Amino acid sequence: MSLICEKIVKTYSGKDVLQSVSLELQEGKIYGLIGRNGAGKTTLLSVLTAQNPASSGSVTLDGMPVWENRRALEKLCFSRELNANAESGLAAMKVKEYLRIAATYYEGWDKEMEGRLLNLFHLEVKKKLGKLSKGMLSMVTIIVALCSKSPYTFLDEPVAGLDVVAREQFYKLLLEEYAATGRTFVISTHIIEEAANVLEDVIILHEGKILIQGNTQAFVDSARYVSGKAEDVDAAVKDLEVHHTDIIGRSKGVTVFLKPGQTVDESYDVSVQTVNLQQAFVALCGEEAQQ
Amino acid sequence: MNGRLTEQKSIYLQIGEMIETDILRGILLEEEQVPSTNELAKLYTINPATAAKGVNLLVDEGILYKRRGIGMFVSKGARDKILSKRREAFAENHIAPMVAEAKSLDITKEKLVTMIEEKYI
Repeated sequence: MSLICEKIVKTYSGKDVLQSVSLELQEGKIYGLIGRNGAGKTTLLSVLTAQNPASSGSVTLDGMPVWENRRALEKLCFSRELNANAESGLAAMKVKEYLRIAATYYEGWDKEMEGRLLNLFHLEVKKKLGKLSKGMLSMVTIIVALCSKSPYTFLDEPVAGLDVVAREQFYKLLLEEYAATGRTFVISTHIIEEAANVLEDVIILHEGKILIQGNTQAFVDSARYVSGKAEDVDAAVKDLEVHHTDIIGRSKGVTVFLKPGQTVDESYDVSVQTVNLQQAFVALCGEEAQQ
Repeated sequence: MNGRLTEQKSIYLQIGEMIETDILRGILLEEEQVPSTNELAKLYTINPATAAKGVNLLVDEGILYKRRGIGMFVSKGARDKILSKRREAFAENHIAPMVAEAKSLDITKEKLVTMIEEKYI
């Protein structure tokens, strides 16, 4: 099974939020979707799960279009960020009512797991959504995502507002469920480093375009931080893809992304360091913040 | 298996090294089963594919072996294998950086040898 989107374009009031996005999501992997605010992450997730039509392009699950296709939609769950303000109409709804409605959407809803997670997160089912904190609302979206048992489950910012213990708890629950079922998960997050080791593949979305899609470790391993005297650094990284230049006096630091077979020329007097996923992401997507 | 992961090295290499260290310390004995990749994944909050990569590295080196349908076990002679592997890598991993640092500080070879003798009690 695989979920494929081809040349997705989504236009909101004349602006292309997604610009020809093509992706293949294979069964049985945990994907991370990372990108800056406004990169188009939530729009992409909602188009992939047919909650929002694309302006052009196609989304198919095993060759069948997902739009208004019950057989495909049964296999997809998009647990979006909950906004329990007055306009959304959710403020007055109780947690248990919200979960009861969610359960009717998914054939395989796991009632036993619902109870277990409510306990684990100390969520009061009689509380109204409007009375929950940001972190508690995230817990509700996590419960929906995990209990849906959908083969393809999409979580938009599941750890937003959660404290560090709850975030760790979430990743452990996710890994436990993944080990038991092999479901596919796609998770968007801004807390990149905590998720990095959990994500088998990473998708980097920047200004509506996909910059990177592939194995997380391979991407991180391709990046290096090279620093030293400016002319030595320039010579050592000649012909390489250079991003994110820092200059202080005579000293210079750059992040480079190596293509297969490429290396930094260490015969020059430079320091070469590995970087983590967050640093590689900032080097790729944070350039305008430097100016 | 209770070390902490660091950022300096690929996670799968660290998983392999932690299993090796447990074998060296006698925490894991020869012919004993090692934790499953799912257990390792949950313990370290890492993707099971990463944990599997680390374990398979040791299988390739003959330090662990697979019993079909049961799991991974520590091979006979694993401890000696790890010892000789680490001894071989010792000069490259530990002595070479020390000598490089000593040279950049103008510490002579003789002085360095004396310093080692003072520490090696």
